[in-house]
Amino acid sequence: MQEVLVDKERCLGCRSCELACAVAHSASKTLLGAVGEAKKPLKRIFVHQTEAGKIPLNCRHCAEAPCIDACIAGAMHRTAEGVVTNTGGPAECTGCWMCVMVCPYGVIRSEIAQRLAVKCDRECLDEAGEPACVRACQTRALKYVEVDDFSREKRERFLISLKS
Amino acid sequence: MHIVIIGNSAAGLAAARTVRKVAAGAQITVISDEPGPAYARCLIPEVLAGSRDLPGIGYVGADFYRQYGIELLAGQTVTSLDVEKRELTTANGRSIGYDRLLLATGASPVAPDWPGADLPGVFTLRKADQAAAAGRWARDCASAVVAGGGLVSLKAAYALKERGLPEVTVVVKSPHVLIKQLDAQSAALVEKELAKTGIKFVYGVEPVAAVKGPQGAVQAVELADGRRLPAGLVMVGKGVRPNVELARRAGGRVDKGIVVDDNLATSLPGVYAAGDCIEVTDMLTGDKTTSGLWTLAVEQGRCAGYNLAGLPGSYPPPLTRLNAAQFGALPFISAGDVRGGDETAVYQDGGVYRKVCFRDGRLVGFIMVGKVDRAGVYTALIKQARHIAGRLKDKVAGGTVTGADIVYSRTVPVR
Repeated sequence: MQEVLVDKERCLGCRSCELACAVAHSASKTLLGAVGEAKKPLKRIFVHQTEAGKIPLNCRHCAEAPCIDACIAGAMHRTAEGVVTNTGGPAECTGCWMCVMVCPYGVIRSEIAQRLAVKCDRECLDEAGEPACVRACQTRALKYVEVDDFSREKRERFLISLKS
Repeated sequence: MHIVIIGNSAAGLAAARTVRKVAAGAQITVISDEPGPAYARCLIPEVLAGSRDLPGIGYVGADFYRQYGIELLAGQTVTSLDVEKRELTTANGRSIGYDRLLLATGASPVAPDWPGADLPGVFTLRKADQAAAAGRWARDCASAVVAGGGLVSLKAAYALKERGLPEVTVVVKSPHVLIKQLDAQSAALVEKELAKTGIKFVYGVEPVAAVKGPQGAVQAVELADGRRLPAGLVMVGKGVRPNVELARRAGGRVDKGIVVDDNLATSLPGVYAAGDCIEVTDMLTGDKTTSGLWTLAVEQGRCAGYNLAGLPGSYPPPLTRLNAAQFGALPFISAGDVRGGDETAVYQDGGVYRKVCFRDGRLVGFIMVGKVDRAGVYTALIKQARHIAGRLKDKVAGGTVTGADIVYSRTVPVR
């Protein structure tokens, strides 16, 4: 499976990934269109400031995903492609916030009025199969790669999992 | 290898899924005393409210059992267990042999001991058919009393209001609602949101009797202080007790729930247990307690699944307080110990409330009301039991900690 990996040394905090993510999840799929849309498009990647610098963070699509365990509705599931998502599955999201409560990365948004948890769903891939955030990253701090391709040393440079 | 699972909800299904994943050739049988395929138990208040029917709260797709090669024996009660012969018997006399067995028998509502508790119109809320029956009964009612201020009770009260009952009163023995999850300030916000729908609250008193009306059904609830509240329907939410009888009668060790070891094995050979029926050790207090949370049941079911399939894996002591919900426009999350601790940081601004509790420099609990984003980072900090100081502590107390803070500090040594 391919994952979005973060090279934290390279992130300048330009937030291009956030913008591209929101645009890719807008109705028009264009920046100009997205700005004017009544329903504000929502980003699913977040550039955070830490003591050591900036880190863009989105869903890791965990192998044993706590959000799937916690989902009381049965909405959060893993697709055949390995994507963890709460849409298009066996049940509808009811906005109970169990997933928000257990996601250690804090990358699931609560849309309170809509009663909908919003997260990275990979509904943003271009013709080449690359996610919008990765495509938009000008410093290559974000990479979309087969995780199995990574040697142990390389993995350690990247942000993969809280557990690893 | 034949693996039999008693229970078709969170733990049972997670176990069945896991066994299929790691032991493709295993024969899997799931036995349930409830009819039909698995449903989302936590959503049965929506059935009570009438906003969804039973198929509307389905937990798995229509094709699930066939796809996973699981034989589902629904509507069948297992009455006894012969651990020597590795065989169980159902109420209709059928004997089923197994190589390994999982007890995912769940829990049952605590029945009230007051007179009239068995009157028509008095309900508990645990199973979908109870929700449906209470919903049908509610159609002809003008008033309802909900006994208990826990999450299930409040969801029931909210659902009865959604159904259109003019008068719904929640009777709470404690000084505020959600006594296990919230403090007085946060509970007040939740109460206020519920009160907007017209739900009324009575505190510090308990029902002592259900009063029979002329038609033989319940018509009122009598409180300990002598008051009588009209009630065409009574919903009792006094918690649940683990279903341990099958294990106990077979000679298995039982305490607060079915006793299991680190691998979720019971004291009976070849028999594992998971979900609401077991006793667990709380990671914060070290106390033995019942499990009773959907998310823990799924974790345990998966762990049990590996063990059932012959891949030993241990289940670490879980965080047993972990709740999220929303009433009206007000979401809230509560995790861990929200009243203990030796240091707290509280933020309140209108309908937004946040409390974080530390003990010995570690985060042990939090409450978030109104805004819940990134709550999982706080939950992760509790689970990591990590010493929190300096800037990180400021961020935790100030509500600005993000996943990046804890991911990053994993990659450099923390003094």
